[in-house]
Amino acid sequence: MDDIDAMFSDLLGEMDLLTQSLGVEDVRPPSPKKEVNLSVGFTDLNESLLELEDNDLDALMADLMADLDATEKLAAEKKAAAKDPHPTLENLHLPSPDHASVPAPPLPPAHRASSAENEEQAKADKIKLALEKLKEAKVKKLVVKVEMTNGSSKTLMVDERQTVRDVLDNLFEKTHCDCNVDWCLYETNPELQTERGFEDHENLVEPLSAWTRDSENKVLFREQEDKYAVFKNPQNFYLWKKDKKALKDMKDKDKELLLEENFCGSSIIVPDLEGALYLKEDGKKSWKQRYFLLRASGIYYVPKGKTKTSRDLVSLVNFDNVNVYYAKEYKAKYKAPTDFCFILKHPQIQKESQYIKYLCCDDHRAMTLWVTGIRVAKYGIALYENYKTAVKRSSASSSWTDRINSTQSTPSPTPKAKAANGHPLPPPPLMDVLPPPPPDPVMPPPPPLPNKGGLPPPPPPSSVTKNRGGALPPAPVEDFPPPPPLDDGELPPDFMPPPPPAAGVGFYLHGGEALPPPPPDPVGLPLAPPPPGPPPPPPPPPPVGAPAPRPVLPAKREGPAPPKRTTPGLSAPSGGDFMSELMVAMQKKRVQQ
Amino acid sequence: MAAWDLSVTVEDLGPDAPPIVISVTSDLHIGRVILDVVQKTQLQRDWSDHALWWEQKQQWLLRTAWTLEKCGIHADAKLVLTPQHKPLQLGLPNGVTVRLCACFSRAVFHTVVEICKVLNIRHPEELSLLRPVEVKKKKKDKDHVQNIYDLTDVSLTSDSIPCLYNGMPVHFTDSPKAEDIYKMLSMCQPSPSPEALAKMYRPASIVDKTHIHTRWLDSSRTLMQQGVQQDDTLWLRFKYNTFYDLEPKYDAVRLTQLYEQARWAILLEDIDCTEEEMMLFGALQYHISKLAQSESQNRVSGIEDLDCALQSLELKLEGDKSGTTDMIVRDTPYFLFRATRPTAFPKRLTLKGYKQYWFKFKDTSISYYKNQEERFGEPIQQLNLKGSDVSPDVNVAGQKFCIKLLIPAPEGMNELYLRCEDEQQYSQWMAACRLGSKGLTLADSSFQREKKSIQSFLSMQRSNSGDQSAQTSENINTFSLLSPRYQKKYKAKQLTPRILDSYQNVARLSMTEAILKFLQIWQALPDFGISYFMVRFKGSRKDEVLGIANNRLIRIDLGVGDVVKTWRYSNMRQWNVNWDIRQVAIEFDGNINMAFGCVTADCKIVHEYIGGYIFMSTRGRDRSDTLNEELFHKLTGGHEVL
Repeated sequence: MDDIDAMFSDLLGEMDLLTQSLGVEDVRPPSPKKEVNLSVGFTDLNESLLELEDNDLDALMADLMADLDATEKLAAEKKAAAKDPHPTLENLHLPSPDHASVPAPPLPPAHRASSAENEEQAKADKIKLALEKLKEAKVKKLVVKVEMTNGSSKTLMVDERQTVRDVLDNLFEKTHCDCNVDWCLYETNPELQTERGFEDHENLVEPLSAWTRDSENKVLFREQEDKYAVFKNPQNFYLWKKDKKALKDMKDKDKELLLEENFCGSSIIVPDLEGALYLKEDGKKSWKQRYFLLRASGIYYVPKGKTKTSRDLVSLVNFDNVNVYYAKEYKAKYKAPTDFCFILKHPQIQKESQYIKYLCCDDHRAMTLWVTGIRVAKYGIALYENYKTAVKRSSASSSWTDRINSTQSTPSPTPKAKAANGHPLPPPPLMDVLPPPPPDPVMPPPPPLPNKGGLPPPPPPSSVTKNRGGALPPAPVEDFPPPPPLDDGELPPDFMPPPPPAAGVGFYLHGGEALPPPPPDPVGLPLAPPPPGPPPPPPPPPPVGAPAPRPVLPAKREGPAPPKRTTPGLSAPSGGDFMSELMVAMQKKRVQQ
Repeated sequence: MAAWDLSVTVEDLGPDAPPIVISVTSDLHIGRVILDVVQKTQLQRDWSDHALWWEQKQQWLLRTAWTLEKCGIHADAKLVLTPQHKPLQLGLPNGVTVRLCACFSRAVFHTVVEICKVLNIRHPEELSLLRPVEVKKKKKDKDHVQNIYDLTDVSLTSDSIPCLYNGMPVHFTDSPKAEDIYKMLSMCQPSPSPEALAKMYRPASIVDKTHIHTRWLDSSRTLMQQGVQQDDTLWLRFKYNTFYDLEPKYDAVRLTQLYEQARWAILLEDIDCTEEEMMLFGALQYHISKLAQSESQNRVSGIEDLDCALQSLELKLEGDKSGTTDMIVRDTPYFLFRATRPTAFPKRLTLKGYKQYWFKFKDTSISYYKNQEERFGEPIQQLNLKGSDVSPDVNVAGQKFCIKLLIPAPEGMNELYLRCEDEQQYSQWMAACRLGSKGLTLADSSFQREKKSIQSFLSMQRSNSGDQSAQTSENINTFSLLSPRYQKKYKAKQLTPRILDSYQNVARLSMTEAILKFLQIWQALPDFGISYFMVRFKGSRKDEVLGIANNRLIRIDLGVGDVVKTWRYSNMRQWNVNWDIRQVAIEFDGNINMAFGCVTADCKIVHEYIGGYIFMSTRGRDRSDTLNEELFHKLTGGHEVL
């Protein structure tokens, strides 16, 4: 038994080392351009919390409460599993401002006497527990600002274990959009002029962690027709050589058959794309035309003087380590032959580099074909599973929103009128989401809700304070009533009552003024002054969105809290040293006002 | 009614025995004839499997209730009383020959069903028999005696699916010999030697590929009718490339044989693939045969999760030379090692370009320090290997062990070369880097395995440089994993790192996973599952190739090898065969008609292929597991059955 004690004390030391190294990892060179960044780093919790605007804060609080609640439960379970007679306070060791890293989760006290036959079992349990805790301690969290199509934005806390699907579901709840399958999270990179829709099964935190400190990248929440186009109209991809009329007249039965053939067999079949594309690579400036073929194992081209025989093909790239991105306006940027370009790069690469493969197609159709084909080759069956989940989600939610709609109403936060996406694809063939019936027209303006958590429409500043104090945390469902259904993503319905303009502006100003002067920042985190961003777009910002679009930079936070954000518990959790810190932060803020 | 003499040869009496003559009348039924003949032989044995074969008409007289008159038999008929089941030498996809009793009196389709039941292969409709490629006998081959596994004793008692005992079908558990056969059927065979591989027949062109398909037997006729004799050799192969419901739990033999067929298709270039794909296939073969070796050596139960976790936790601190007995538990064990790195990141590296640093590997990152003393302080640089590109730069003879790292960064990739002192250090760091690039830490259970495989690859390189054919149980020759084309194109030491490169992606797979992965990649090849036939289209004057796949027909221009046109079965209205002029005519939606005559293969084979694939697509619709033999014959039989 001694050795196990030794092991654990060693483990403890190890974790100290670990936390230090994690702290080190987080330090990135401070960038000269700080002004546009809103960074929420939990390494310096108070400062960053103060940076947040009220609405952000409220939303975050809701998330946090949920997290804490979940941690509690988990902790209880663990305790039971460990059969430890002494309850340990193991949860809620959130970082204190000075110690910028993970606190080691307390280890179960050194081994207590147990019967000989239990010895092995106990040892096993402990090791498992230790491993679990180590995992738990390393869970990374980011505060992500997601930009809506109307220019407003929402702030979310994203756990590193959450998939894009989870985040989308979360956003569906917060925005009450129609939840159709085309909604996706989109990453834009202004420096490279690229964009890419995250796949639903991806973890969101990982790609965001690759952003640089001074990144102007954004995450957008919007509808993309091409996200699942390959499943809605598989013939456009798998029979692309056929003439357009035949493809358009494809019967549903034949579409199903195509899906079955290509996605339901023991192996995923990749569309057999081939054709001449322009390639710019290895840091060269010129675009070279080559004949490319797509295979499940990568992109190949036909070398000079050879035929298309498989064994002669030269591999350009395989998809293990690269992602595919749409590229915008490369005619101007890189003198590309057309503006229909896409690039293949490692997700970590954020700037121009010789390791990026730039490809240019003749037309939009070819570009969509290739990008989609590459996605099928890279993600395989996962893509199809994502689609099926998305379809299930959208049909489930459409019936759900119907029900809720009859009791509440507020302007939809996500009119998709100005989806500036540059992929003018034909509307989807109307197969997934039937538009829900229009809501009762007698509704606006919204009746005052009985519960205290109801924020929308934005109340005047004074009431905000009051509300915040009283309703902690606000339950999201009460918070944001579902929108009137969008008629298949058309313009916002005309019955929407605009929120009182005065309130909107007041809210904006309030948010801006409330920002305290930047406190000393140990890690060199930039503090954003109120952004000079554009005025709220014609439909005034939704109650919870931030007033102006701003790039958000992910910041890391290590805490033992597991994700669970949908239903925040109302009971105040115990061990709330973090909570009290938050309270202090808000108190301070109130005083400053 | 007048009596007349009927002579019946009884095979059991020996080849030279005269036929037995019995006196019969035309209203005597067949069963009675057999009984009379048997009585006259005075042999005591089980005659239940025997039946009469009418030589002139090449047909079986299986309806014992029919009279001689109804069968149309007269005094001149030559009848033979012979067993319906005869031994047959069956070449399996894995290259092994088994001897078993096959039914000679029913349609080949049924014969295959029976064979597959004995071999424990589900979905026999996907397989069929074909005549082997004629091998020119050379004198040298005489001393080469092939081991033939005998399964003729095996008799299946019931019609039901054989139940499993000890993971084996019951009929294989009778004797140790039978168990060995089952092992042979369900375990992958070792890789062939490069020399043997080079000697084997490989189709050089698409025209060559059309020849293989001329050899399929007709599924609607019996073996006897197709001139197959007792103890002839036939091949059993997967014919229809649509593999329904592969389930590792039940399909041990099916999966193994399918893998073997796929492997040979790759090795003998029946199907084309790119160099990168070939390397991956090679890596998978390497992995699978390694696993097969270790599995046959010790069939112990898998290590429990906990043991695994413990093992990985208790990784020795390699840098600590003194305390060798202490097990140190670490969440992310790291070892300290000296390695060198170049001062800058020069493109062309000479030995002098390297500078010594103290390197530390932790989690998925490497950090380096000025020297050993400073290893607890701040590193000069720390690089996370996740997602990076790790490639070897090794020359065993020259004692050069370098690892080339391409580490992604926002600005591009950082190039870093690590030069290790020796093989031991190299394999350790290489394994660590590879795991790191996958986002795995050293605590991962695959670390030791990875290390071992790197070492064995290194030793492969060593043995290859000396003796080409050296192939021990430990080592596998690189060339036996790739098609012979690569023997000419590359040296072994060029190929080894490339296979190793692919190997890192598959090294963690279990046997079944690796086989499934192999099959998946095989099926994802663009040319997968296409059977080629030489045909002449109606209205065309030249020979062209028709490719038949599971969902479409493809017209291929012989000159260029390009696909001219594709027709999908889903658009097919009907197809007809004009047996007189041997022409297949197909009508598609939208009044599209096409017709062709077969040049090399029999028209029936082509017809059966198309009908067969349509039959395969009907599976699973009714969700019943019973095989609809009648439907198969309806779709594939042609006029001979209907």
